[in-house]
Amino acid sequence: MTSHLTTPSPDAPPAGARQATPDPASAAPAASAARSRARARRRALLPAALFLAPLLALYGVYYLYAFVFLGQTSRQSVDLSFTGATDVGWRNFQLVLTDPVFWRDIGNNLLFAAVSILVALTLGFFLAVSLASGVRARRFFFVVFLLPSLVPMSLFATVFGQLIQTNGGAINQTLRAVGLGALAQDWTGNTTSAYVAVFILLTYLVGLPVMYYTSDLTTANTAVLEAAMIDGAGTWQMYRMILFPMLRGTHRTVILSVLLGSFRWFELIYFSTGSQPAGRTGIPGTYIYDQMFPSTGGGQIGYASAASLVVLVVAIAVSAVNVLVQRRR
Amino acid sequence: MRNDAQVCRGLVAAATALVLSLSVAACGNSGGVGGSADAGQATVGAGQKVTLNYWTWFPAQATVQKSIAAFEAANPNITINLREFSNTDYQKELPLALGGGQSLDIVGVQVSAMTNTVRTQLRPVSDWAGDLPADWKSRISSTMLDQTQNIAKDKTLYSVPMGSIGSAVVYSNADVLKKLGLAFPQTQADLAADVAKIKAAGNGVTPVVFSGEDWWQDEMFFTVADQIDPKLSDELYTDKVAWNSPQFVQALTAYQNLFKNSVLDKGTLSLKEADADNAFNSGKAAFLVEGSWNSSVLSSAYRKANGITVGNVGAGAFPVVVPGGRPAARTFAEGGLAIPKSSKYAAQAAKFIQFMTTDPAGVKTWASDLVLVPSLNGYTVDPSVLTTPEARSGYAAVQSLINAPGSGRGQYSTTFTSDVLDNTLLDVARGNTAPQAAANSLQSAWTSGRYPVQ
Repeated sequence: MTSHLTTPSPDAPPAGARQATPDPASAAPAASAARSRARARRRALLPAALFLAPLLALYGVYYLYAFVFLGQTSRQSVDLSFTGATDVGWRNFQLVLTDPVFWRDIGNNLLFAAVSILVALTLGFFLAVSLASGVRARRFFFVVFLLPSLVPMSLFATVFGQLIQTNGGAINQTLRAVGLGALAQDWTGNTTSAYVAVFILLTYLVGLPVMYYTSDLTTANTAVLEAAMIDGAGTWQMYRMILFPMLRGTHRTVILSVLLGSFRWFELIYFSTGSQPAGRTGIPGTYIYDQMFPSTGGGQIGYASAASLVVLVVAIAVSAVNVLVQRRR
Repeated sequence: MRNDAQVCRGLVAAATALVLSLSVAACGNSGGVGGSADAGQATVGAGQKVTLNYWTWFPAQATVQKSIAAFEAANPNITINLREFSNTDYQKELPLALGGGQSLDIVGVQVSAMTNTVRTQLRPVSDWAGDLPADWKSRISSTMLDQTQNIAKDKTLYSVPMGSIGSAVVYSNADVLKKLGLAFPQTQADLAADVAKIKAAGNGVTPVVFSGEDWWQDEMFFTVADQIDPKLSDELYTDKVAWNSPQFVQALTAYQNLFKNSVLDKGTLSLKEADADNAFNSGKAAFLVEGSWNSSVLSSAYRKANGITVGNVGAGAFPVVVPGGRPAARTFAEGGLAIPKSSKYAAQAAKFIQFMTTDPAGVKTWASDLVLVPSLNGYTVDPSVLTTPEARSGYAAVQSLINAPGSGRGQYSTTFTSDVLDNTLLDVARGNTAPQAAANSLQSAWTSGRYPVQ
């Protein structure tokens, strides 16, 4: 269990130990030292600012341009040529907010994110701890789990989309070949099957959470685990009562990264289910794309911009709620 | 905890930026940019060489290069610099390039899909018609010219159409039909019988393939619906017929029955267009329901050059599936050639457009691909292109469908089709929604005011 977990140095102070109360007699020199540290910080500020300025300017221009562009076009009726724009006030927002398809897609996004988080916190955690415990061919398994997260999402989703084709898809063909034809599904023709297909697809993306957990496990305090083993804790108890709570910080990182990342899963859906059946596995990314580049009619850039801003607000709100809930715990 | 606070501050900053952007937008101008001004014309001396920038998505690059080579041979002082795009990329790239003031001299325009997006950046044909032969209009199909002109919001002609396309059309693997002793189906009963025999043969050939992508659903459906009335599609989009009218419900019922009775397989709805085309091209499907733009497969030379293994291909109208109906297809002018306002060489560009549209020698350089039925009046395909009786009769059937007075394909620009209709048709095909309920739902969406015809 402990072969790849590091043991902290015996000289290091225990995590969370309180600092000793300062002696009043040494207060004056301490204040002087604090002042000189502040001066040093101020002196260091200028070169730091100079180094950072180009990058900040770059980001500033990007964000300013992007937000002003979105803000402006969201109140216009304008197509891809960006010519002949007309002001429509808040109508685009009104149409987006009253479109049930938009809210269904937001709901799908949150559902897919929830499933992905659940997979990360259970399967991802289990795989990371199992791999850290020194199983054979550990590196091979890391590659296997990480690969779907490392290849371009569009390629990965396209391959998956081919697998789940009803007639020629490898999944159904395999099921039929081994006599389990009854389990073959019209994966994108039935709402339940299509959701299951997306859930399976999301499960393949467990590699990044495994990496997050693995990276934190390498710095975990193994003395606690050793003590638990001496106390006779079983493997399941160690997983559940020691390791899982110990990686609380990583859980937060995983939840927030998956939650925020889920709003950018456009390629995942577009190239796998294509929002089928009848748009029911759509997410905000596919919704916005369909408004910008509809199969018939000119792109509604203003409407798509308004939808983008609403999605941004929803993403910020959901993330804020998540942070607040976790802070209370 | 500190990380949480930082995340909170980040979220607050993002929200602030959002509010600021909306504030800026609220205070900002509402205009946008109008159409660009015409570029002044360059003075071209005798013998001076001119290079024209030509952007298009059609025909295939190898074909356009042949056309360009023929044009340059006849016009040694003009060089054409071609940039070819894929269909979907082109719809995004051209409006942005023209809006950004890029200097282009000739552009291909998808007549139904792009005219209104780019028209403010194009010179009306009347501005440069003086550089065309005086009788140029009489050389071209008046129907296609009218369609190209009338689709523009200001009813101005901005491009000269190279030809026309229509959908849906059925392509057949003539070898499979011959082997099984089947005839090209004319009715639903014929098609059902063919499908049953192909399935019974059990040689791994799928009877009928087509794209299950949402954008293709209205193409398939209106082919059936317009069998009741060739103008039904037009009448629905122009409010002359309600979306829950009896004839529309009849069309939905007929469409649903095709799947319910296993004439068409619901599993096919998971195919993408490329998958369906590949299945047919590799001989794994007996029938392919596609647009007329796929007619290149009728040419044996094209099949050989593109590695298509199916030996012999026929074509025809989609079988009649409504009682008393007639074969139908929606058609529209396509492949418009236009001169942007940014061009300084309008006279030279007009010369190339004339070569590609009204000159038989020029039309011949690209029309052998069979992607479009050319707009040039009296044009006939070179006999060497269609080498079998099935291919010849198939192309004649496609031509006949396109020349028949049917509804306009893609003529009505509204997201109702992509956002509502296509998904509803998928539900009807899969049997998830009853035709009457689907019709009522469509009528409700149509009258909601959310999807105006642009």
